[in-house]
Amino acid sequence: MSVLGEMFSNLLSKPFTILYPKEKVPVPDAFRGKVAISDEKCIGCSKCSLVCAAQCITMVEGQRVVEFKGKKLERKKKPKVKLFSCIRCGLCERHCPVPGAIYLKNELSDTGTDRETVIT
Amino acid sequence: MAEVIIPIGPHHPALKEPVNFKVIADGEKIVRLELDLSYTHRGIEKAAEKRDFIRVLPLLERVCGICSHSHSSAFAKGIEETMQLEIPPRAQYIRTIIAELERMHSHLLWLGVAAHEIGFNTLFMWTWRDREAVQDTLEEMSGNRVHYGMNEVGGVRRDLTLEQVNAALLRLPHLEDRIKKYVDMVNNQKTLLVRFRGVGKLSKEEALKYGAVGPTARASGVDYDVRSDDPYFVYADIPWEVVTDTSGDVYGRTCVRIGELQESIKIVRYCLENLPEGPVRVTAPKAAPPGEILSRYEAPRGELVHFIRTNGTDKVERVDIRTPTLANWTSVAMCLVNQNLADIPVIVAAIDPCLSCTSRITILNIKDRSAGVITMDELRRRSCTRCYGQEQE
Amino acid sequence: MIDPVYTFVYIFLFPGFLFIIIYGLILEFLDRRIAARMQNRVGPPFFQPFADFIKMLGKEVIDPEGVDRQLFDAAPLVALAAVMTAYLYVPVLGNSPLAFQGDLVLVLYLLTLPTIALFLLGWLSRNIFSAIGGIRAVTQMFIYEVPFFLALLAPALMAGTWSISEIAVWQQKNLWFIFLQPIGFVVALIGLQAKLERTPFDIPEAETEIIAGPWTELTGRRLALMHLTMNVSLVVGSSLIAALFLGGPMIPWVIIPVWMGWIAGFFLFLAKTLGVLLVLASIKVATGRIRIDQLNRIGWKYIASAAIVQVALVLIINSRWVSS
Repeated sequence: MSVLGEMFSNLLSKPFTILYPKEKVPVPDAFRGKVAISDEKCIGCSKCSLVCAAQCITMVEGQRVVEFKGKKLERKKKPKVKLFSCIRCGLCERHCPVPGAIYLKNELSDTGTDRETVIT
Repeated sequence: MAEVIIPIGPHHPALKEPVNFKVIADGEKIVRLELDLSYTHRGIEKAAEKRDFIRVLPLLERVCGICSHSHSSAFAKGIEETMQLEIPPRAQYIRTIIAELERMHSHLLWLGVAAHEIGFNTLFMWTWRDREAVQDTLEEMSGNRVHYGMNEVGGVRRDLTLEQVNAALLRLPHLEDRIKKYVDMVNNQKTLLVRFRGVGKLSKEEALKYGAVGPTARASGVDYDVRSDDPYFVYADIPWEVVTDTSGDVYGRTCVRIGELQESIKIVRYCLENLPEGPVRVTAPKAAPPGEILSRYEAPRGELVHFIRTNGTDKVERVDIRTPTLANWTSVAMCLVNQNLADIPVIVAAIDPCLSCTSRITILNIKDRSAGVITMDELRRRSCTRCYGQEQE
Repeated sequence: MIDPVYTFVYIFLFPGFLFIIIYGLILEFLDRRIAARMQNRVGPPFFQPFADFIKMLGKEVIDPEGVDRQLFDAAPLVALAAVMTAYLYVPVLGNSPLAFQGDLVLVLYLLTLPTIALFLLGWLSRNIFSAIGGIRAVTQMFIYEVPFFLALLAPALMAGTWSISEIAVWQQKNLWFIFLQPIGFVVALIGLQAKLERTPFDIPEAETEIIAGPWTELTGRRLALMHLTMNVSLVVGSSLIAALFLGGPMIPWVIIPVWMGWIAGFFLFLAKTLGVLLVLASIKVATGRIRIDQLNRIGWKYIASAAIVQVALVLIINSRWVSS
C-alpha cells in the first residue's frame, strides 16, 4: 500500500530530474574537473610529470622568471597536459610543491574531437 | 520440449557485464549450467608491478567502479602494514566514512538492479533517486562520484571541512526514512515476495562448502564479516553489528543488504559526529621492506583479499586480487540447478555480481591448441610441490 | 439503408482507422507519461510515439537466415487488421453503425489474433528466445482467456443481448455494470492487462530473461506494425470495458440536434477510456513481473473462480427477476 500512496503523490509533484541544459546541475567546489596550469607559480620541477598516473604530462620549453619563496628564479620547463588522457586523479595537484601551480578546477572539461588537445 | 541450450551471455539484457552461462534447460526447468568467466581481463595485476606506490593506487582503484575505495584501501592498508606505518586517527575515520558511504551506494544500486531484474522498474527508479543523496555527499567530500582518490599510502589525501560534515549529516535522516520505506516495501509488496522468497536457496553447509562470502553467505546464517573478525580502520572501536539472516534465499539476501544499509548509516553518523582532530596523513617511506602480506577488506560484495609481495623497492613484486564475486560464482552455479528459467536473472543478481572484479585464468596449451581451466587439485599439486618440494595428496 | 459515404467516413476516417491510429499513439504517450511521473521521472514528450512509429517504418528489415519471409511479413499485418476490424464494432459516438447481434463474440475473437500472431512469429524465428517467448504467450493466453471471456459474458447475460452497443444502451436505463458486477469489472481489468502483455503479465516479453521473446527478430516496419497493434488493442480493450461496464458513450437524455449528442458521446468515450487507462497504468507501475507457473496458479485458483462466481451470481439474479 505504501507503493500506491507514493505513486500517486509522485504523480502530482515535480519530477526529480534536473533538465540539464535549461537548469544547472549543482557542482561542489571540491569537484575534480579540468586541469589548469598557472605559469606564474609553476617552478618547473617536473614532479607532476613523474607522479601522473596516466602519464599524460610532459615537460616542454617555457623560459620564464618565477617568484618562489621570496626569490626570483629563472626556470626553463613547464608542464603540458594531454586533456583527453587525463583521468582527473589529482595526484599532480597533491604532489606539486607550489599550491596553485597545477590544480583541478571544478568545471567539467569540454568535449572535443581532437585526441591531442593539450593544456599548457 | 527436449533439452535445449540457452545462451545467457556474453551479451544479455540481464547482465550488466559479460559472462557466459550455457544453460541447459528442459522446458522451463534448468538441468545443468556451464559457466565461463574472464571476459573482462585487463592485465591490471601485471600493470601494477611497474608503478610505484603513488601511481599504483589510481590504477587499483579502477579495478571496479562500484567498489573502487575497497581496492585502494585494501592495498594501502597492506602496504602500510608492511612498512609498519601508524596512520593518524583522523585518517582512519575518514577512510571509514568513505568506505561506509560506498557500501551504502552499492547496496542501494543493488536494490534497484534486483527490482529491475523482476520487472519492477518503479523500485529501481526510486532507489536510484535516493542513491543520488549518497553520491552528492561523496562528490562533495572527494571530488568525484566514483573513483574517489581519497587514499594514499600513509593516510588520506583530503581533509573533510566542517561544511562537508554538516551537509552530510543533514542528508542522513531523509535516507533513513526512505530505507524504512524500502523495508516496508520488501516485506509487503506481493510481487517482490513471490519472486524472491524460496528462490535460490543456499543452506549454511552449502554456503560454507562452496566458499560464498559477503551478504550471500550471511543470508545463510554464516556469521563472517571481515570488519568484525579481522578489524581494520576504526571498526573495532565504534558500535555496530553484523547483520545475518537464516533464510538463505534471495529474500534473505535482500534483508541482509537492507540491514547493512541501516548499519552503515549509523556508522557514518557516529564517525561524522566523533571525528577526531589532527593531521590526515604521515609521510610514507619511498620503498617497502621485503615481505608478503595478505590484506583483507570487507567490500560491499564480500571479502576482498589482496596478496602483496614486496621486495624492498618502491614497486610491488606481485599483487594478486581475489574479489568476492569470484568466490560467489560457484554458489550461483550450484543453486541454479532445478530452478526455473525465469529465475536466472534474479539468482545471478542476488550475489551482486561485479564482473569487472572477477577474472579467472584460462590455460592455453599452444602445442595441442586446447584451452581450459585448472582444477583445485591440480593447482594444489603444482603449488605445493614447488613450495614444499614434496608430493601432496 | 446505410449511407455509403457515411460508412466510408466512419470506417476509414473518423472514428475509424485514422482516428484510432492517432488515438492509440496518444494513449501510448499518456501511458508512458503517467508511468514516468509516478516514478518521479519526466517521461517522453507528446510526439514521442509518433516519432517512434515513423522512425521504425524507415529502418532496415533484417531477415534471419532460413526464416520464412512472407509469413514474417504477414503476421503483423494480420494482427493489425484483426484489431482494427474489432474496433469498428465498439461504440464510439453512439451506436456503432455496423453493430449486430453477436458482435461481442466477434470482437473477443478478433482480439485474440495478435497473441496467435506473436506465437507464430516466435515459432518461426529460428531463435531459442523467441520460441520460449512464443510458448509463454500462448500459455498465458490459455490462462487468462477463460476468466476474461466469462467476465465479459456476465453483462451480456444480464442485459439479455449479444451486441455491445445494446449493452451500452441497456446501462442507460439501469445502473452501470461496474456497480452491478464489481467482481466482473476487476476480473475484466486483470484480463485486459494480461491480454496487452503489460506488467505484471509481461511474461512473454520479459526483457531480463529472454531478451524480447517473440519480438526479438522483428525489425523495421514489422516492429512498427506490431507495436501499433499493441497500441490499438489498448484502445479497443479500454473502450470495450468502457462500453460494457461504464456505460459507453451513451447519454441517458436525448439531445437535439443529433450532432451535439455525438460530440457529447465522443467526450464521454474519451473520458472513460482515459479512466481505464489510468487504472491500467497504475497496475503497471505498482507491480513486478510474475513467473508463468505462478500465473498458472493464481489464474486458475483466484481469477477463474472469481469469474465463475460472477457468472453464477448473474444467473441467479436473472432467474429471480424473470421468475418474479
